[in-house]
Amino acid sequence: MACSFRHAGSGLLGISRIKTFMFGEGKNQVLTCFQCDEAACVKVCPVTALRRNESTGAIEVDENRCIGCGLCSIACPFGHMSHDANGGIAVKCDLCGGDPACAAFCPSKTLEYK
Amino acid sequence: MTTDKTINLEINGRFFQGREGMTILDVARREGIPITTLCHHDALEPVGSCRLCMVEITHPDWGGWKGLVTACLYPIEEGLKVTTDNEEIRRVKRTILDLLLARCPESEVIQKLAAEYGVTTTSYIKNEVETTCILCGLCVRVCEAKGCRAISAAGRGIGKAIAIPFKQPPPDCIGCASCAHICPTGTIKYQDTGNVRKIWGHSFEMAKCTICGRPVMPEKQLAFEADKSGLDPDYLRICPVCSQQKTVETIRSSFGISPVESGDSVCDAGVTPVAHR
Repeated sequence: MACSFRHAGSGLLGISRIKTFMFGEGKNQVLTCFQCDEAACVKVCPVTALRRNESTGAIEVDENRCIGCGLCSIACPFGHMSHDANGGIAVKCDLCGGDPACAAFCPSKTLEYK
Repeated sequence: MTTDKTINLEINGRFFQGREGMTILDVARREGIPITTLCHHDALEPVGSCRLCMVEITHPDWGGWKGLVTACLYPIEEGLKVTTDNEEIRRVKRTILDLLLARCPESEVIQKLAAEYGVTTTSYIKNEVETTCILCGLCVRVCEAKGCRAISAAGRGIGKAIAIPFKQPPPDCIGCASCAHICPTGTIKYQDTGNVRKIWGHSFEMAKCTICGRPVMPEKQLAFEADKSGLDPDYLRICPVCSQQKTVETIRSSFGISPVESGDSVCDAGVTPVAHR
C-alpha cells in the first residue's frame, strides 16, 4: 500500500509495484523487480525508454520516452513489469529513487534497503 | 546526437547549461520550464509540425534581432537568450490554436488547450470533415520506430490525412497499438474484444498465454518481436501475471512447499494483474 500511495497517491493494492504472496504456514513472500544486471526489459525496448539509474542501480522507465508497446512486460521472465491501464505506459519498481517507501513502512523490518 | 561540449544559455532570464546537440525544449523540460507541445515525444525525432512550442530567441551578437523558432527543433548555442512566454508568443500560439480549432472543432484536447490561451471558438471556417487528427505525425514516427512503417501521411493541403495504403488494412501493421497510445488527441482507436484486436481495419488474432489462456499480444506482433529480438516465440507466450506466478512457484519449491496443482492458474490464485492488456 505504501508503494501505491507513493507512486499513484492512492492505496489501491492492485496498482502496487510490489506484491505479496501467501504460501500458507506463515510463509509469505513479497516480490518486486530484481533490477537484473542483464535485464530483458531493457534489451527489448525499441526506444530505450528503460535505463539504469547509476546512483540507485534501479532500472527506471522514462515515461516521456515509453511508447506503450507492452513488450517489456511480456519479456520480463519474472513478471515484474506491468502497464498503466490508462496511458499504456510501462510501470515498474524504481526503488523510489533510492528511498523505497515499502522498506520504510515495513513494520517487521523484513524489507530492507541496503 | 549530443556531445560532451557544454553550452551556456539563458532561458527567461535564468542561466542554464546544456550539451551541444540538445534542443531548447530538451533544456527547458529538464529544468521544469513549461513549453506546450502536441507533436513532441522524447523517443522520436522532432519534426516541429504542431508549432505550439514557439519561443523567442535572440543573441548578444545579433544586433538586437529577435525571432520566433520551434523549441523542439532549435539546437542550443552559446549565449542564446530564450523567452518562453510573452505577448508576441501568445499571439502566435492563439493563431495556431485558432487554426487547429478550425480543423478539429470537436477535439476536447484542442478545445481545452485553446481555452487556456483564450480561444474558445475558431475565427476561421470550421472543417466540414469530422476529425480530431491534427496531422502531427506522431503515429507515423512511432510506427517507424517500432520498425513497421505501416501508416503514413497521404495527400496534400486540405486533403492531407494519416492514411493506410489504398485504404486497405496495412499489410505491415502488427497491431501493437503504439500509434493509438501515442496519439495526442486520441484519434486512433483500437478495440480488444476477447481474442481479437481491431485496429486500422485489421482483426488481429491474439496470442494466448500458454498457462492461463488470456490474450498476450497479437500473433503477428509476437512473430515480429520474436524475429526482431531473437527470442523464442514460446518465451513471449507467457503473460506477465503467469511469469510472476512462475517466480512464486520457484520460491515455493525452495521453501519446500509443493507447487500448486496444475490447472490452478494465477488468475485464480488471488494475484491481481495491474493491467492485463
